[in-house]
Amino acid sequence: MPLDTSTYSLALLRLDGRRWNELRRLHAQISVQAAASGSSYLEMGNTKILCTVSGPSEARRGAGGGGAGSSEGNLEVDVSFAGFSGVERRKRRQDKRTTDLSHTLTSSLTPLLHLHLYPHSTITLTLSILSQDGSLLAACINSATLALIDAGVPMTDYLTAVTCASSPSTSDEEAGDPLLDVNSAEEQELPFLTLGTVGREGRVGVCVMESRVRGEGVEGMVAVGIEGCARVREIVDGVVRGYGKRFA
Amino acid sequence: MAPSQHVQVNLSPAELSYLRSSLAQSPPIRLDHTKGPKDFRSMRAEYDVLPGANGSARIALDDGLEALVGVKAEVEKSQRSPRVDEQEHRLTVAAGDMDMQDADDDDTKAKGQNAWVEMSVEIPGFRDEDALPVFLASMLTESLLASGGLKDRLYINRRFHWKLYIDILLLSPALSYPLALLSMTTHLALLTSRLPALKSEKDEDPLFDDDWDASVPLYPKSKGKTKGTQAMDRPPVIVLAMAVDQNIIFDPCKEELAVADAVLAVACTDSTSSPSGAQVIAIRTIDPPSHLTPLGVPNAMNSATGGVVPASTADAITQRELLASSDVWTPPRGGMKRALVGQIVKAVVEKGGVAEEVIQALQSIDVG
Repeated sequence: MPLDTSTYSLALLRLDGRRWNELRRLHAQISVQAAASGSSYLEMGNTKILCTVSGPSEARRGAGGGGAGSSEGNLEVDVSFAGFSGVERRKRRQDKRTTDLSHTLTSSLTPLLHLHLYPHSTITLTLSILSQDGSLLAACINSATLALIDAGVPMTDYLTAVTCASSPSTSDEEAGDPLLDVNSAEEQELPFLTLGTVGREGRVGVCVMESRVRGEGVEGMVAVGIEGCARVREIVDGVVRGYGKRFA
Repeated sequence: MAPSQHVQVNLSPAELSYLRSSLAQSPPIRLDHTKGPKDFRSMRAEYDVLPGANGSARIALDDGLEALVGVKAEVEKSQRSPRVDEQEHRLTVAAGDMDMQDADDDDTKAKGQNAWVEMSVEIPGFRDEDALPVFLASMLTESLLASGGLKDRLYINRRFHWKLYIDILLLSPALSYPLALLSMTTHLALLTSRLPALKSEKDEDPLFDDDWDASVPLYPKSKGKTKGTQAMDRPPVIVLAMAVDQNIIFDPCKEELAVADAVLAVACTDSTSSPSGAQVIAIRTIDPPSHLTPLGVPNAMNSATGGVVPASTADAITQRELLASSDVWTPPRGGMKRALVGQIVKAVVEKGGVAEEVIQALQSIDVG
C-alpha cells in the first residue's frame, strides 16, 4: 500500500498532524496488576503494551543453564502478540520478529540491572502487545523499564527509547529531515531507527536499524532520537515519582 | 479435566482439614470470612479498551487475576452450501404468502456454522495445545454456540459471512481456576461488540457503512422488540460452584477449590421466554484439584505419635476407610449427590439467582 508522505514538505506537518519533533501521547501506569512482582501498562499513541515481571525467583529446572549454578541472575524475556493487536487478526507464536524483540530487550537491559545481587535466580519479563501502531521496540523497552522499577529490581538508571525516521529532504542538498516517534504508517514508508539511551546524560544503550538510509542522515536521526529519549525519560520519571507520592 | 499443577496450593493436610470443616459448617465460614456462600470476589471491569478490535473488555479480580478479551470480525467467503436450491425454494414460498420482513427473518435463520466462531485462550506458562487452555476454550465455545443465535447473525449473504475471532488473554498467572472470569470477560466483550452496518443488498459483494456510529451491535439490545423467534439475545455466562458436604459455595478461590468435594461449571443465559430468572445451557463437572492433595496420617497409624504403622497396604486401606468420617484429611473421591446438583442449578437460575445477578451486573457496566 503506497502511502503519500510527500505532503510533508509542503506544510511540515505529518500525516497525523504532528510536527517533526513531536512525540505521540505517551501514557503509562505502573503496578497495574496485583498478582505480579511488578507490572506496567504503556501507551505510545495506539501502541499498547502490558508488561509484567515475575521474580527474582529460583531458576526453573530444565530451563537450560542460565541462572542455575551461575553467580549472576538471569533475565528472561517473553514477548507475545495478542491475536487482535494488528489491523488483521493474526495468530503468531515465536517467529523471527518476537525472538528478535526479546533478544534485543534481554541484551539491552541485562547490563543495567544489578543481577549480581541475585545469584541462581531468574527474572522473567512478560510483554503482551495488545495493540500495535509503530515504535514497537521502543514501547517494549519503555514498559520493561517501568515494570522492572515497579518490581524493585535494582538498576543503574532508566533505559528509555524512541524511534526516529528520516523523511525525504525539503531542501535538495541535505540528507533528509529526521522525524521523531513514527507510527505504523510512517514505519512502512520511511527508513527509521530505534534508539534507547541510559540516564540523564543520554548514553546510547540501544540502537537498532533495519532499513537502509543514506549515511549523512544517521547523525541527524540519532541527535533527534537522543533529544526524544530525554523527553520520554522525563515522562517515565514523572510516572514513577507520581506513584511514589501516593505512598509518601 | 485433570487439574494442573499451577492450580495446586501448598497447604498441609491439617490446614486442608480445618478449611474443609469450616466450609462445611452451617452457615459456612469462607476463607474470606466477610463473604457469604453466594458472594463473588470483587472486580473491576471496563470495556472498549482496544482501538483495533470490534469489541473488547478487561476484568481484574481483587486477588490479581486479570483477563482481557478482544473480539475481531473479518469478512470471509462462504463455502458454497449444498442446500442452496432448497433455500431458494423456501424463499419464494415465503415471499409469496408472507410479507417481506418475515421472509428476511427466515433468510437468516439457521444458516450459521459453528466454524464461523473461533476462540483461543492464552494463559501465561501454558502452551497453546496444553490441556487447560484447550479445555477452557472448548467449554466457552460450546456454551456460546449452543444458542445458535450468534452464528446466524454472522451471516451476511449467501457468499459471505463474518468470521468472529475471540482472543482471550489471561494477563496474570492462573492463580485459581479462571473459567468464570474468562467467561464473564468474554460476555462483556461480546455484549459491547459492534459490526459495521451493511450497505449492499442481497448477494452483492458486501459493502459496509464506514461510519462507526452507524454500526450495529453484535447482540442487539432487546428494548421493545420482543419477538418469540429471537430467544437469546445475550451471550452466556459461566458460573463456577463447588460443593463441600451439604454446602454450596459460588466463585471459590484457589484454596477453597483445594477442599472441594465436587466442582460444577454452569453455563446460563437470561431467558427471554420466561419473564424472570435464567436458563441453563450447559453443565460440566470439573475435576477439582482436591484429588491431588496429600492425605493426612492419623495418630493411630503414625508410630511417631504412639500409633502402629499398618503392616500391609491392604491393612492401611482398611484402616483409612474406618477413619473416613474423622477429621483427618482424606482427599475427596469425587461424585456428587443428585439433589446437590439440583440445588446448585436452582440457586443459579432462580429469580434473583446468581446467574441473573451476574448478567445484570455486567449489563449495567455496559449501560453506565
